[in-house]
Amino acid sequence: MIAFITRRLLLGVLTVWLISVLSFVIIQLPPGDFVDAYIAQLSASGSQVSAAEADSLRHLYGLGEPFYVQYGKWLARIITGDFGESMEWRRPVTEVIGDRIWLTLLLSFAALLLTWSLALPIGIFSAVRQYSFADYAFTLIGFIGIAVPNFLLALVIMYFSFVWFGTSVGGLFSAEMTLAPWSLAKVWDLMKHLPLPALILALGGTAQLIRIMRANLLDELRRPYVVTARAKGLSETRVIVKYPVRAALNPFASNIAYLFPYLVSGSIIVSIVLGLPTVGPLLVKALVAQDMFLAGTIVLLLGVMTVVGTFISDLVLMWVDPRIRHQMD
Amino acid sequence: MTTRRKFLGASAALAAVTAPTVDALAQAVTAKSAFDQSGLVGKLEGPTQVTTIPSSFKEAPQLGELVKAGKLPPVASRLPAEPLVLKPLESIGRYGGTWRRAFIGPSDGENGNRIMASDKLLFWDPTGSKIVPSVAKSHELSADGKTTTLFLRKGMKWSDGAPFTADDFVFWFEDLYGNKDIVPSPIPDMSAGGKPGRLVKIDETTVQFQFDNPNYLFPSLLAGDTLIGGGQAVRQSNGNTYAAYAPAHYLKQFLPKYSSEAEVNRRAREAGFDNWVRMLHVRKDWQLNPELPTLGPWKTVRPINTPTWAMDRNPYYYVVDTEGNQLPYIDKVIMSLAENIEVVNLKAMAGEFDLQERHIDLAKLPVILENRDRGKYDVHLDLAYNGADTTLHINMNHTADAEVGKWLGTADFRRALSLGIDRDQLNETFWLGLATPGSTAPAEVMPESPGPEWRKKWSVLDIAQANRMLDGLGLTKKDSEGYRVRTDNGQRLVIQLTAVKAFMDWPAHAQMIAQQWRKIGIYGDVKEQERGLAFQRASAGDHHILVWTNGGTELLYLYPLWALPVSTANGSYGPETARWYASNGAQGTKPSDPHMLRALELFRSAAAQKEEERNKTAQEIWKIMVDQQFHIGVCGQSPALMGVRLASRRLGNIPGRVCIAQHCRTPGSSHPSTWYYKS
Amino acid sequence: MAQIDSEKYAVATQLQLTWWRFRRHRLAMVSMVLVLLFYLLAVFADFLATTDPHATDARTSYIAPQPIHLFDDDGSFRPHVSGIKGVRDMRTFKLVYTVDPSRKVYIDFFGRGYSYNLFGLFETDRHLMTLKNPERGDGIFIMGTDLLGRDLWSRLMVATRVSLTIGLVGVTISLFLGVLLGGVSAVYGGLVDTVIQRIIEVVRSMPTIPLWLGLAAALPNDWSVLQIYFAITIIISLLAWTDLARVVRGKFLALKEEDFVMAAELAGASQGRIIFRHMLPSFASHIIAAVSLALPAMIISETSLSFLGLGLRPPAISWGILLQDAQNIQTLALAPWLLLSAIPVVVVILAFNFLGDGLRDAADPYG
Repeated sequence: MIAFITRRLLLGVLTVWLISVLSFVIIQLPPGDFVDAYIAQLSASGSQVSAAEADSLRHLYGLGEPFYVQYGKWLARIITGDFGESMEWRRPVTEVIGDRIWLTLLLSFAALLLTWSLALPIGIFSAVRQYSFADYAFTLIGFIGIAVPNFLLALVIMYFSFVWFGTSVGGLFSAEMTLAPWSLAKVWDLMKHLPLPALILALGGTAQLIRIMRANLLDELRRPYVVTARAKGLSETRVIVKYPVRAALNPFASNIAYLFPYLVSGSIIVSIVLGLPTVGPLLVKALVAQDMFLAGTIVLLLGVMTVVGTFISDLVLMWVDPRIRHQMD
Repeated sequence: MTTRRKFLGASAALAAVTAPTVDALAQAVTAKSAFDQSGLVGKLEGPTQVTTIPSSFKEAPQLGELVKAGKLPPVASRLPAEPLVLKPLESIGRYGGTWRRAFIGPSDGENGNRIMASDKLLFWDPTGSKIVPSVAKSHELSADGKTTTLFLRKGMKWSDGAPFTADDFVFWFEDLYGNKDIVPSPIPDMSAGGKPGRLVKIDETTVQFQFDNPNYLFPSLLAGDTLIGGGQAVRQSNGNTYAAYAPAHYLKQFLPKYSSEAEVNRRAREAGFDNWVRMLHVRKDWQLNPELPTLGPWKTVRPINTPTWAMDRNPYYYVVDTEGNQLPYIDKVIMSLAENIEVVNLKAMAGEFDLQERHIDLAKLPVILENRDRGKYDVHLDLAYNGADTTLHINMNHTADAEVGKWLGTADFRRALSLGIDRDQLNETFWLGLATPGSTAPAEVMPESPGPEWRKKWSVLDIAQANRMLDGLGLTKKDSEGYRVRTDNGQRLVIQLTAVKAFMDWPAHAQMIAQQWRKIGIYGDVKEQERGLAFQRASAGDHHILVWTNGGTELLYLYPLWALPVSTANGSYGPETARWYASNGAQGTKPSDPHMLRALELFRSAAAQKEEERNKTAQEIWKIMVDQQFHIGVCGQSPALMGVRLASRRLGNIPGRVCIAQHCRTPGSSHPSTWYYKS
Repeated sequence: MAQIDSEKYAVATQLQLTWWRFRRHRLAMVSMVLVLLFYLLAVFADFLATTDPHATDARTSYIAPQPIHLFDDDGSFRPHVSGIKGVRDMRTFKLVYTVDPSRKVYIDFFGRGYSYNLFGLFETDRHLMTLKNPERGDGIFIMGTDLLGRDLWSRLMVATRVSLTIGLVGVTISLFLGVLLGGVSAVYGGLVDTVIQRIIEVVRSMPTIPLWLGLAAALPNDWSVLQIYFAITIIISLLAWTDLARVVRGKFLALKEEDFVMAAELAGASQGRIIFRHMLPSFASHIIAAVSLALPAMIISETSLSFLGLGLRPPAISWGILLQDAQNIQTLALAPWLLLSAIPVVVVILAFNFLGDGLRDAADPYG
């Protein structure tokens, strides 16, 4: 067991390193650099940047060194905990991400909670009452959740809630609250704004989970041991929940790892449309602006979370399916 | 007193060279009756400067409290002996209120820079037609044009109370501009006839810019949005160090000259910067550093790189109204971060912003108008002075593809492309009919306009003539779908239109144009690209045609970027030519096109000419550019860029129409400091 | 419920059994028909379009859907549309259209319109419906027009073709890679498993957006938009196989312990035979379920990425691009019919899901 864990840990570190290289490469792929993107952005908003200014900016950011030198420097700094400065925000990367990470986490967990609390019971119900009207109805609703692109839903809902209710739209806080320090009122303001984005985000994942849950459970329910359990006189609920559901959770375990990065990147578009101050839109803007340190750090962060998630997922898989656990030893 | 005589004399000199007059502009507005139906285009107006200085001064109540508590000197000593006196548009205002506004991120510094534009040394009046005093109380141009003298205001102070004097100019010139670590290369603004000028202190309140060659253009450069004249807010932020003056008393601590290199580096590392230069650039940036002394009406209290960019009043602001009330009336400015344009517009319609012209999308005008009562705002449409919001900038130095390069470099080809565009269609679709179709030449009211007949020169729809011209060039063979083929290999001739979805949906414009070009047998290949990529490729001269605006060219000498290849920062017309011009022939390639050569020569000679002659030269240059179609104009003089202005009904002194032009620093020249909350 | 002769049932092949079971699932049958219909539509896209999907005209900008009148005034069956003219109200700045019922423009079936290539082979200009003698500004606007005056129905036809074909390519590649690598990883275990797992992890933790952005920028400038998109689709499917691989591996690992596998091993079956003949069918249903979700997922990715401006770009036409046109306030307020482009997306995705459902149920050997 210990050997297994240590081995996985070391491999995890290797993976993280590979991810860091890949992400740096990708960020550097587009020709040009931050200053080019910055100049373009300024020109777009009607400002002029002369050659002199462009020069001084490049001078300022030390751009122009070969790729591997820049990467090496970046890596060296990361190891010492210095994630660099965002060229666009002109603040340390940790601050920029830190501002948003809590809200991202909150939003993701809210969406996650919604997803699972909706998907699991509905999936189980659908499998147990297969081909019933309720099964079809839930399936349909769930599918509409997958089928309708969630960003479309986002803008439509945002616009119509403005037209019908005149509500303060977009963002996770109303205008007055953004500047205010944290207080009970601010928390309540956040709670008021959270359900809508969380729901939109949850819809896509819910339908998918329902499907998978239903499919897995159906597979399990046909197995001989279920018949045996019924014959032995166990109540229907126990029959379903004690063994089949646990076994059906097998693929879930495989997927936990990627839930968080999925939520972050899957929510990017919705966050953009709704104007949410989360990590997703931050990443996209950083990429467009070629803000190396910021984009690189976010991608690295996602990578680390995935590796950690995979590790946890493997542990959960072991716990859930004893057959695999025994094979490990 | 010498100063006052000089002041009056200078103003008289000033008055003599004003053109066009406000009347001419007003007439121009009424002539556009197409917009009158909407009732949304008002009278071009704004607060006026008066010379009578009030005998006593008043201040905002909270400042009064601070004075009583002994924390602030009394208002009379906070103001200069001769403050700038503005007569508000409608009435004397009331103190108080918070201006709510939207910005879209840390790169949207212009949003705040423009509000601070009264920190410029000289500026333009609200109609954008004449140069007026700003920080400097007057200026004088010597008869030979070699010297521009600025007279400062005695007793004027920085926002932290320290005196603002000629020493701040010397500090900038010697310690900042002169330091290669801070400013790597000198700027063309500070040289005349190829030789660099000097900034010299004459006395506490007088500075001079001295050149070895005549430089009659210089006062205009100071008044315009240029590197030297733009003002501290815009020209000392984002790693730039221009603007002619800087707060010496505050910035000295960051320079090695005043302690040692080791010392400033140590301090920088302690504060988390790589070296002293980077620390200096952040500390002198008004958007990032609340402690930086500034001269504008408000100062940053919460920086731009946070979700809320907040500003408070500057207790030492040098402007008062005619009753002696120190401006601004409004206490605070709060800008909330909106992640994208849709959110900005939606929030604006919900009435969440008090005055917003930036990032408001013209295409949404019908919806914006519908929500006026709900959002409790008025809508004003302000028309711009530049010829074309959508311009096809043609790369006349395209070398990657010889055949394409040949055609792009041929005037008749460009003219034919221009004649093939149905501008009325584009006007209807994208500008809601609010633009003027035509060439890239500036609005007829501008002094540099070559004349009304140049609006339509080569810039009307004439498919027959376009086809004739293209046939005449030898492009007679067409492929099976009717597109002309190349003369070198018989394949279809493809002209790329590089378009960025920026403040107008240019890819959509390009698509419509490409469809229209089918009738003249030209295949337009629309390439939508990211901003950064598009500009990077344009700078390298990879593009065929770049679709962009030509804003700024309404005053050609102050902002030639989108008209002529004179700056290496913009390679749209051929980077080699730009390099040749900027280096005075030392690098790059001399243009082979005699018309381009002539235009550039005229441009170079202009600085040494007096205003009237200079305007004529500009007109000549425009005639060449339009006749040769260096850039093809589509539609312009519209409210597309910052021209849809939403003003809360609670605000007073709001002008009916403001100047939309680069040099006006919209909304800067309308003096936001005179706006107030009626309730 | 079809009562199949019990004798026939006993000797039917697995495929026949699958088909009979599949037929019972009503929804799945309907979906299959729908999917086939859509692909048929994709083949005949240009034929079904009424006007050139690229042709712009300010005169027909933002027209609401216009009905086709089937009967003429005298009661005869002569389908036509009414003339329509627009004027901009200079106070509200909206385009106000007035329909002139007296001006009838008759519909021509199998008439001549813009020319195109049918099946990519031969050129023709026949369309299902066009107008007889149309004036400028006339058109069959059954789904309305967009800002540039282009008919939405025609654009939707072409968009369907593009979006459906691209999804197909991507999914095929992902499927192949996923099953292969997942299976190999589980069966061989050890170092092979570890290496493949590492690769999967690295690939999966790459957020797709940065990859797309980087690649979109690095591809040659002069490739056509469609070429670029195919290239990117292939690359994206090289990322999408990981989902399937990981699940396949998980299932394989669980199945390895099953009795029938041990029995096959004991019987002397080769590794290949064990994998393909015995193990694969037992979770074939699971793979099918995953694939039936993968295709729509590809469609959603294309849609989302085009929305971000990273996928297909105009002047190409796809569902994503049409939806991007609808993604702004003025569309929602002034031209909400442009949201109709979401309908085929939703329908196709639902159809594929039900189809997958049905296939999974039918293919399940333990059912």
